[in-house]
Amino acid sequence: MSDPSALTSEALAAIGKAQTEQELERIEVEYLGRKGGRVSKLLEGIGKLGPEQKASLGKAVNEAKRAIEAALAAMRAELEASRLADLAETEAIDITFPGPPLGRGHIHVLTQVRRQIETVLESLGYQVELGPEVETEWYNFEALNLTVGHPARENWDSFYFNSQLLLRAHTSPVQIRAMQRIKEPPIYIITPGRCYRRDAPEATRLPYFSQVEGLAVDKGLTVGDMKGTLLYMIQSLYGRDRKVRVRPSYFPFTEPSFEFDVTCGICGGMGCKSCRHKGWLEVGGCGMVHPQVLRNGGIDPAQWNGYAWGFGIERMAMLKHDVDDIRLFYESDLRFLEQF
Amino acid sequence: MRISYEWLGDFLDLDGVTPKDAAEVLTRLGIEVESLTMVDLSQIVIGKVLEQKQHATSRTALWIHQVDLGDHVQQIIAGAPNAVPGSLVPVALPGTTVPNGKLVRDTYIAGEKASGMLCSADELLLGEDHAGILILDRGKPGDALTTVIPSQAIMEAEITSNRPDEMGHLGIARELAAGLDRPLKRDFMPAFTGTADPPGRDLVKVTIDDPDLSSRYIGGVIKGVRVGPSPEWMQRRLRACGVRPINNIVDITNYVLLEYAQPLHAFDLAKLNGPAIHVRRAKANEKLLCLDGEERRLTPDMLVIADALRPVAIAGVIGGEETAVTGATVDVLLEAANFSGPSVRQTSRALGLRTEASARFERALPPELALAGARRAASLISELAGGSVHREWADVYPRPQEPVRVNLRPALIDDVLGTHVPLEEAESILKRLNFHVKVMADGEWDILPPVFRLDVTIPEDLVEEVGRVYGYDRVPPTLPGRRRDSWTPSAPSLDRRLDSMREVLAGSGYTETWNPALVSGRNLEALRIAAHAMRVSNPLSDDMDTLRTSVLPSLIDVVALNRDRGRLDVRVYEIAAAFLARVGDKNTQPEEPLRLAAVATAGLTAEDGRVAFYRLKSVLDGCVAALAAPACTYQRASAQLFHPGRCAAVVMEGRQLGYIGELHPTVAAAARIDGRVVAFEIDVEPVLAASRIPRALPLPRFPGVERDLAVVVEETVAAGALLATIKESAGDLLELVRAFDEYRGAQVPEGHKSVAFTLTFRSSERTLTDAEVDRVMSEIKVALEKRHRARFRE
Repeated sequence: MSDPSALTSEALAAIGKAQTEQELERIEVEYLGRKGGRVSKLLEGIGKLGPEQKASLGKAVNEAKRAIEAALAAMRAELEASRLADLAETEAIDITFPGPPLGRGHIHVLTQVRRQIETVLESLGYQVELGPEVETEWYNFEALNLTVGHPARENWDSFYFNSQLLLRAHTSPVQIRAMQRIKEPPIYIITPGRCYRRDAPEATRLPYFSQVEGLAVDKGLTVGDMKGTLLYMIQSLYGRDRKVRVRPSYFPFTEPSFEFDVTCGICGGMGCKSCRHKGWLEVGGCGMVHPQVLRNGGIDPAQWNGYAWGFGIERMAMLKHDVDDIRLFYESDLRFLEQF
Repeated sequence: MRISYEWLGDFLDLDGVTPKDAAEVLTRLGIEVESLTMVDLSQIVIGKVLEQKQHATSRTALWIHQVDLGDHVQQIIAGAPNAVPGSLVPVALPGTTVPNGKLVRDTYIAGEKASGMLCSADELLLGEDHAGILILDRGKPGDALTTVIPSQAIMEAEITSNRPDEMGHLGIARELAAGLDRPLKRDFMPAFTGTADPPGRDLVKVTIDDPDLSSRYIGGVIKGVRVGPSPEWMQRRLRACGVRPINNIVDITNYVLLEYAQPLHAFDLAKLNGPAIHVRRAKANEKLLCLDGEERRLTPDMLVIADALRPVAIAGVIGGEETAVTGATVDVLLEAANFSGPSVRQTSRALGLRTEASARFERALPPELALAGARRAASLISELAGGSVHREWADVYPRPQEPVRVNLRPALIDDVLGTHVPLEEAESILKRLNFHVKVMADGEWDILPPVFRLDVTIPEDLVEEVGRVYGYDRVPPTLPGRRRDSWTPSAPSLDRRLDSMREVLAGSGYTETWNPALVSGRNLEALRIAAHAMRVSNPLSDDMDTLRTSVLPSLIDVVALNRDRGRLDVRVYEIAAAFLARVGDKNTQPEEPLRLAAVATAGLTAEDGRVAFYRLKSVLDGCVAALAAPACTYQRASAQLFHPGRCAAVVMEGRQLGYIGELHPTVAAAARIDGRVVAFEIDVEPVLAASRIPRALPLPRFPGVERDLAVVVEETVAAGALLATIKESAGDLLELVRAFDEYRGAQVPEGHKSVAFTLTFRSSERTLTDAEVDRVMSEIKVALEKRHRARFRE
């Protein structure tokens, strides 16, 4: 039977000399092991001792155990700290080496722009309405005051299937359908979707394209409200520094009618090559809904009025991302699509 | 329409208004000036040609001129021969830049000194004529050219289709005057009338067959004119507007067209049979040799001007050559008429001929304009070509223009604009635009628009007139907002709901494309998917003459295109409508099912195709799962475009959504694609309809037990059938079963395969014992043996 304090000194000396965590592990087992550890062995034959001796031995053994445990923990912390101190050298990697290609797919830039437009207008309380791409003559033209022989109709030269059916030339038919369906204003809707016009493909226009039109029908709407809505939309999409102007124009389905322009993003409205020295870029058309168009949608113009606007999603994307040829959107060359 | 700034100065005082200012004011008023070309003539001087001789040694024809420049004579070489001795010509001296941008240098041409340049109209941007040197009709040698021709500014403006009155300089000037609040110096209706006897209406008989097509025809008789060149100022203005000068009579008709927007025509009265004018439809097989030298075949839906025997002009489009005014003409019949817009447009389209006249008639001119134009032209002819204008012209006017009155509640102006326009200002604006305003006892305004404004018919039109002159930039932007007692709750749009599918596809390496819906009908037929195709009756070309009945062919083309451009691995998709004609009534709109289609290239071997098929299936399952819709099942099927042994119908809750599979080798080959391509196309709307809000399940509290099972069956037994049997026979404890491997070869008999499954068992109430799981496993094995004659590999 050895003396607890001598055993403690011996153990502490061994711990002090230990170089690795494995060594500490061995020392721990040797001295503190549950079965056969040398500290535990001190208690062998304790049963034969008297109560006082029993108590004093027990106390001494416990002290020895605590001292050894504390020394082990301290040494472990020391060894671990020195091991981690070397990590910078031992496990260094070349962080400039590029990661492997992710092989991710891309969401079409027109989807992205459409999504932004929907989000911005939804934040103003507008709801998305959809409608058929193959439309009837009535919804595409007549209901919008574009009667047969109307001189403005040549701006909406269309693809026909027969005298009654055609590919819609704008998403305005959805406005009529929405008014008929909703019946009771207030109506605040936007109508994104594909449209078709009989224009030969070139860098600035295509026979197929996508529009977003908006329609608000409520009590006491004004040209100012329309301007504010367009300004909110444009600034949300392009930044606070953009300005919007409305310029009188003519559409049979609005009165008054306007084109709306946005200050050029390159020169900020001063005039530069990319805006052809105008300072403004043409974006779309807008106006106060013609009373007859409201009537065609089943809305009483004596009680309600409205404003509407429309523009091409491609045009918005071209302005936003400096795309100079509209055909790129529909050509599906991955080298283009993967830029967005 | 081209606008000459100089010309506008005839009608209003432009003092202090630069061409740029004018362009800005017009744009704000609704006449969009698209470009402004400044023609600075201040550096050009007038020279007088003293001598002209041909260059002796030059290989190309060149003429050497001695030109008097006032204080000295200079030698100038030119390529055109028309600057004969005595001509007054514009000269650009060395060091000057000519308006078209050319810098003139002192030089030698084939050994001869050339000090300067004689300018053509084209080089000075005064017209398109570049054939010869511009010959001046007056001027002093050595003086600046601007002493006879002012510097110019030409605006190119877009005129909206409701404003034919703006297709003349007077109409533009009227707008500008209103915008600048300056007086307009010219009345709409000239006072001029003829005085010569007998009355013109006794000299020519005018009849109109169909007042719907021609509501008015004025035939003015002017006798004894002297045909010759028109004055330089008139020629200059015509050239500036892109019209070639011909002779004084023709030039005057064109000049008035560009001034009043009223097209006119002058006939040589002596060549009209009758003399009579008959406005009628063309007869079948009639022809007319037109002023442009082309003979045109006429059809009965075209309106013509005929004399007693034959057509002499196509109404509102172009005149005939045989009755045209020539140097020999003495007596003239001046036509000022009104033709129906749609009829002129139809004729002009049918003939493929758009003229200054047809462009104006197409937009429906007011018949009152005809008299104003006729009077203006007659006064100019009398002034510039002599002749006596007869009194009381033939004026057949079966449909007199009805005066329009509009009542305006003036508060509507503020209500619509959203800003306050003082009443006096609104009234002043309307008056400046020649509207007659009468304020009535009840405060409403009784308004009479001018006769040339057929576009104004409702109160909102008047609000627009006030608004555009008042200035829309003065209307403050606001957002609509008020207390509402009804609304529609917000809901995500269809397209936004599909975004979760787009996320899965993007994560799986698929790129979204937008492809044209108009495709080649012939290609759809070749693919045998044209059964419900809708064909466009007026296509632009035959490669886009039909609406696609499927999105897949577009994606196949995308693969081919990107392969051609060097991309081997192509994974793309599109979400778009397919168009399927409904059987029966051809006037019903087609079905437009929204489709999701995806394609991916695989390698060259059958095994590559097999692996790619299963991968694509995972992508499709992922898309469906992203919408929280029930999982799809797959049933062996055959479909157009697909490989007969590698195609499945995609089924959700008993409803077929579409197909997935490898493309048929002939389909890939037809698109010039080497190797295998896998694809699917499904209807999206049923998936959205089946979409549910995912409900959270409690996490398992007890461990699961996993077991693998290798099942050897005959080749014809489908994994799907084995899975169904396993699920059915396993009972409640089976949580998940997944097939993970298919194996043929050693230890598996010929004509058989081994399919490996991983099964996970779990109870929500206790930890399962091996014995329990063993019992279930043996029940599964029994069922598999019985139903599929399966054996098991250890």
